[in-house]
Amino acid sequence: MAAFGSFALLVALALAAYNLLAGAVALRLLATGQPARISPERLADTARRAGIAGFAAITAAAFALVWSVFANDFSITYIMEHSNRALPGWYKFSALWSGQEGSLVLWAWLLGAYGFVLRLTHKTDVKLYAYAGVILAGVQVFFLLVLNFAAPPFALLRGQIPADGNGLNPLLQYPEMVIHPPLLYLGYVGFSVPFAFALGALMMRYPGEKWIKITRAWTMVTWLFLTAGVFLGMHWAYAVLGWGGYWGWDPVENASLMPWLTGTAFLHSVMMQEKKGLMKSWNVWLIFSTFLLTMLGTMLTRGGLVSSVHAFAESPIGYWFMVFMVLVLAVCIFTYILQRDHLQSEQRLESLVSRESSSLFANLVLLAACFVIVWGTLYPILSEYIEGAKVTVDAVWYNRVAVPIGLFLLFLMGVGPLLPWRGTSFKSIRRNFVLPVTALWVTVIACLLAGVRPWHNGALDQGHFYALVAFGLSAGVLTAICSEFLRGALVIARQSGRNYFWSIFQLIRRNTRRYGGYFVHIGVVIVVIGLAGSAFNRSEEKELVLHDKLTIGSYSLECMGFTQDSNANYTSDYALLDVRKGGKMLFQMAPEKRVYMASGQPQTMVAIHSVVAWDLYVVYEGTNPDTDQPIIKAFLNPLVSWIWAGVMMMVLGTLVALMPSQRAGNRE
Amino acid sequence: MTETQGLIAGGLLLIALLAYTFWPEKVSASQLEKTRLDYLLERKEQLYENLRDLNFEFRAGKYPEEEFEAQRAQLENETARLMAEIELLQQA
Repeated sequence: MAAFGSFALLVALALAAYNLLAGAVALRLLATGQPARISPERLADTARRAGIAGFAAITAAAFALVWSVFANDFSITYIMEHSNRALPGWYKFSALWSGQEGSLVLWAWLLGAYGFVLRLTHKTDVKLYAYAGVILAGVQVFFLLVLNFAAPPFALLRGQIPADGNGLNPLLQYPEMVIHPPLLYLGYVGFSVPFAFALGALMMRYPGEKWIKITRAWTMVTWLFLTAGVFLGMHWAYAVLGWGGYWGWDPVENASLMPWLTGTAFLHSVMMQEKKGLMKSWNVWLIFSTFLLTMLGTMLTRGGLVSSVHAFAESPIGYWFMVFMVLVLAVCIFTYILQRDHLQSEQRLESLVSRESSSLFANLVLLAACFVIVWGTLYPILSEYIEGAKVTVDAVWYNRVAVPIGLFLLFLMGVGPLLPWRGTSFKSIRRNFVLPVTALWVTVIACLLAGVRPWHNGALDQGHFYALVAFGLSAGVLTAICSEFLRGALVIARQSGRNYFWSIFQLIRRNTRRYGGYFVHIGVVIVVIGLAGSAFNRSEEKELVLHDKLTIGSYSLECMGFTQDSNANYTSDYALLDVRKGGKMLFQMAPEKRVYMASGQPQTMVAIHSVVAWDLYVVYEGTNPDTDQPIIKAFLNPLVSWIWAGVMMMVLGTLVALMPSQRAGNRE
Repeated sequence: MTETQGLIAGGLLLIALLAYTFWPEKVSASQLEKTRLDYLLERKEQLYENLRDLNFEFRAGKYPEEEFEAQRAQLENETARLMAEIELLQQA
């Protein structure tokens, strides 16, 4: 299979190169009208078909790699390093993206899959799709060059072939790890498509904004995948790393957040371009930056430039990525300079107090957040390069800068829907803002009465203060969004004489994009409430012997014993803990510590009991080497389940926004 | 799968993919240029959409009447200019 896989990768490279070159020549001939021996349309069609054929070749290579994992072919270095015989079947799939070479195969395969769909649907706008197809082929050529010459996945092992492999990284042997990386990659890779359309539209001086409508679904689907991927990663970190948190500002976590922020900004600001012909240059550079940030993220994780629980060892592919990014940036700048007169806005911002300007502010704040994260992530690399010593930036720094930015974004999210397009008067503002501002202050007072203390012994308690602001703003934003639904439904109810529920349903059907977007905003608010809960986290750690008790909050954990288990893949030690509340037995928890046989590496399996108000999170930390007693650490983390509920709302909202609105002809 | 079998399978894959790529097609998709008229018609749709949104937001109580009238007049003027250009191009 190694020979077949390597050959398939070479074929894929040849086809992608043909797609790029023949496609570029055909588009040049069409643009200049020069006579040629072959019809440019025919040449462009062979280029498109080469792109489709290239997807088949990469699929064959990916299949060969997965087949080799299942066949335990340890003659292939990659399989030997990332799998073993006792590895369960579903984790054998994970081996495809657990290492550098395999994850690059996944990148190329997903890019091929996106390109496949794009090339099959080319009749939507033949010329624009031809440009986008050629640009995607350029990206694909780069990945296939890396796979064929810098990080070959089918490289054979030198010397004796071992009887068993080193096994999969224990951190990845968790059910979510089977879906989290592909989702994240679908998001990362997917941004190549709107990038290709934007660059293509600029190159061909596409008249009008229809390219945005064409790419809207692509951008939203990509954003949805990236959102789901980022939050699944958070949940994995929460359930597997055993430190009680879900976001540690790890460079690889940051790498996934950077394109998410610029992608979110792009999703909002393209509306200005579509509706009013505003912010054309801004949007083009937003999507260029988003694509470059996905490349930067891939370089950081795959190039071994930063140390992280997710990153791979140092490797030369970082330089390949750097050269590619410089090349892409040069093409973007060159095209922009050449065609910038095509990006003149048709109108100007009419008022600073309007939906347009609030969206522009939100864009600026999202970019500021992105800049902070890029700076913090790259600072260790830059400091090492300039000063010779690596200076790392810790979570405290990120929280100090990112939390106020996040809260300001939340504020803008509430203000935006209340402001009409074009501009408004002070009188309208006062009328529209009464309810949300009242909700905000009522919530702040309720929180203070419930025991939130932003000032403690005369000093500011930053955690409680930010939580109070977050709860207050969340109430204001939720009220603002709900009033949008109710006001719209009231108009429809008056027109139709039907009830409110039917009217709200009609309202959403008539403008799925807007109201789906509001659902996403509600989801974000719920996530923020969940994140604010972390200000009230508590933890207790104790050495527990049989029938010892550990108390946290209203829970009492009694140790009922320790037990061991093993299978072909790992051995594990469990602690059995009875959880009581007010003396009443509720349930049993069994935190676990595993040691994987193939790699000899330990792994914590956290026990979590989740309710709406909090999570009881228990870690078996192993035994104290001095006393030989088992150590149990328990956390009481308020509102964590709100984060996951909020994400589901965000996913639902995006799905609603993806649905077509009821046609204009049937409306009003 | 031995190395030779792998290379034979790879060779067959290559032949199939080349045949698909270069198979002679009688009709290639045409690459028509988008005209100014196409662009104006798209813009007209967008302006109608903006007018509908404005009406709806007024009825939902977001604007006082004088603001609504001013903004509607502005949008209608823009639409009228656009319609005039569309008519001119359609006659030509």
